[in-house]
Amino acid sequence: MTLLEDRPQPPSEEHNPLLMDIVPGPRPAGLVKYITSTDHKQIGLNYLVTGLLAFVVAGIMALGMRTQLIVPNNHFITADVYNQLFTIHGTIMLFVFAGPFGFAGFGNYLVPLMIGAPDMAFPRFNNLSYWLYLGGFSLLMAGFLTNNGAAQFGWFGYAPLTEAIHSPGPGGDLWLVGIALTGFSGIFSAVNIITTIFTLRAPGMVMFRMPIFVWNILVTMFLVLLAFPVLTSAFALLWIDRHLGGNFFNTQKGGQPILWQNLFWFFGHPEVYIIALPYFGVVTEVLASMCRKPVFGYKGMIAATLSIGALSMGVWAHHMYTTGAVLLPFFAAMSLLIAVPTGIKFFNWIGTMWRGTIVLNTPLLFSIGFLIQFLMGGVTGVILAQPVLDFQLHNTYFVVAHFHYVIMGLVFGGLAGLYYWYPKMTGRMFDERWGKASFILLLIGFNLTFFPQHDLGLRGMPRRIETYNAGLGWNFLNELSSIGSYITGLGVVATVINLVKSYRSGPIAGDNPWDAQTLEWACSSPPPDHNFEALPPIRSERPVWDANHPDMLTKVGH
Amino acid sequence: MHLASSLLGSVSNFGSPQGVTKQDGWNHLLWNISFWFALPITLLVVCLIGYALFRYRERPGKERVPAQFQYHIPIEAAYTIIPLVVVAVIFGFMFNAENQQSKSPAPAAGNVLKITVDGFQWGWRFVYPNGHAEVGTADYTNINTNSDLPVLYLPANEPVQLHLVSLDVVHTFYVKDFLYNRDLIPGVDNNVNFTVKTPGIYQGQCNNICGEYHAYMRFLVQVMPADQYNQWYANQPACSVTTAGISGPPAPGTCDSQLSKGFQAGL
Repeated sequence: MTLLEDRPQPPSEEHNPLLMDIVPGPRPAGLVKYITSTDHKQIGLNYLVTGLLAFVVAGIMALGMRTQLIVPNNHFITADVYNQLFTIHGTIMLFVFAGPFGFAGFGNYLVPLMIGAPDMAFPRFNNLSYWLYLGGFSLLMAGFLTNNGAAQFGWFGYAPLTEAIHSPGPGGDLWLVGIALTGFSGIFSAVNIITTIFTLRAPGMVMFRMPIFVWNILVTMFLVLLAFPVLTSAFALLWIDRHLGGNFFNTQKGGQPILWQNLFWFFGHPEVYIIALPYFGVVTEVLASMCRKPVFGYKGMIAATLSIGALSMGVWAHHMYTTGAVLLPFFAAMSLLIAVPTGIKFFNWIGTMWRGTIVLNTPLLFSIGFLIQFLMGGVTGVILAQPVLDFQLHNTYFVVAHFHYVIMGLVFGGLAGLYYWYPKMTGRMFDERWGKASFILLLIGFNLTFFPQHDLGLRGMPRRIETYNAGLGWNFLNELSSIGSYITGLGVVATVINLVKSYRSGPIAGDNPWDAQTLEWACSSPPPDHNFEALPPIRSERPVWDANHPDMLTKVGH
Repeated sequence: MHLASSLLGSVSNFGSPQGVTKQDGWNHLLWNISFWFALPITLLVVCLIGYALFRYRERPGKERVPAQFQYHIPIEAAYTIIPLVVVAVIFGFMFNAENQQSKSPAPAAGNVLKITVDGFQWGWRFVYPNGHAEVGTADYTNINTNSDLPVLYLPANEPVQLHLVSLDVVHTFYVKDFLYNRDLIPGVDNNVNFTVKTPGIYQGQCNNICGEYHAYMRFLVQVMPADQYNQWYANQPACSVTTAGISGPPAPGTCDSQLSKGFQAGL
């Protein structure tokens, strides 16, 4: 036995088998593939399709609520049903759609492709994550089938309303377990993706050559690891209270309801950035590709992402200003500070567009929609971060408008990503006309729905009320808002039609239809199992561009 | 000149409603400061985006691949430091306003009127220092009726302290015209101070989801000049209960608990 062996010779060209040929066994297809696959792309698609379904379902709930509110003193649905709708609408939108659609859907599909890996670090664990997530979604929906209906206490379920004495029945339990399952799914995804990014990067893909999207997912996943276990613990406490005679949130026996609020928001505010950061990444990639330029201020962008992640852990109590039980100046200062890195990102996005050659197609338009809506949500966020103004506006429709501008901004980002990577995922090109129609409908519908709600909040309309008195000056604005919500619904329908129709009959897209820059565009569309047959040399954060435009490399210096 | 100043006056509040308490001037100040910063910044960003979209859009004759620059340190430093300064300034104003607003009435005003506000599913009880209680819940079938609502009677231009107590779940005391929200949380002791300037009737409402009929958990605030208020108060026997506008003697045993709650707040 020799200590040193000769380096094995690479097999000669004609005997070089494709990776596909080496992996033995039959290849499942269709439903079996969907159920059993450990391929990160299939699982990513599972998340994206399930997430989109959740978006449509929770959107229909929103239409029900807007129909109830279209006129005062309406009895379209009962108070009981209305409360179930807004609870499950919020829960599904946040826990099943917005978060997992970004970090698990796009994250699963794109992270291995972008860093040149064949799959995730733990493919079967990845499969488990998806099934826990789908189980969580199903349980949340199953609440509607129980005799007392689904949970009725709002998506942040303030104790003691959630205690068994105030909310009896299985609806609340299904809500608890459903969210806990999506939480575990998130934690497992986080472990998986962090490991993947740290250990499976291709040769040459150093950390500072990873696409911004991958950086954002990395920070998101750390936030998940910090935030979700706290939520799960809080849920365990509530479960003990509901079923095992505990008194964590029962003042009569020495419990503290305010504890729930602290635990929940300690999760809840990082959650906002868990939702947001992946879409920031998506928009960054779309803008760079569609402007045919490198991301402006790449390293500043990463620093901004890291500081958003850090600051987001210290702002939870800005949801609790009106409890009279938190230190106002500290949380106000931290909340205001978050505006700074977010502002840096905005200017970097503008810098990316500056002096570029901007292709005005559907993914770019949705990215611009994201920029404008999110800007609006950010500005009203700076207003709400100030305790004195929050005392006035807390829990009014001003807050509803604020966070819908934020989250619908992110939805625009998500749709930008869906259109942008659609050719990669399906191998087919979407229909530009349907895409643009969807964008225009969504832009009009969304702003018509939520802009009047700022004014409703200033006029004193509280959120989560099932109906309202006719004499308070809220009637016309509510009418506008409801009409807007129907237009938004049409916009979503247009996108769904586009996605389904193009999947069946869209033109073949080719490997790199956008002349894009990052590694996922180096493999075929859709990519084969285990992704890459060969990798281009990775010498910057945009290896595909470098390979295609050797004369147009990033200009060094400034 | 006159026209300009009146125009400025009409937009200077940027839509924030006029409040009726002595404390709400701080809201206007902060609201205006926020807008003076936010409007130009928003306009700047929107214009930059719009300009870039128009000026650099792909069109015939434009080079297909533009210059590939990536960093510009001075500009990046500028848009890091300037926002830091802006939020520091906003924070300074906010910090001052918040301190001023939360100041309790001076101790000289020893006769602050202390009222206990009890929130329950789904109504309110306002307990006065002599044990008189105003109670009410709403008509759950028709939200347009105001006749059953409980009424909180307050004197104008007198400092008032409200002791907020929840009898079951979390509620929020919210009167739009006070520009103020404060939660009623079991286990948290909340006192808030107001001095209402303008007599009138104001709408109040619970502003935290508290169960099925949350939307109906409304009340009215009637603010009267001090002499009228004193006259009203003198006519309320100790420990009497007015339910939905109808006065009656207290049910046996209730006065003690009301009194203890009332005195807990009042003394």
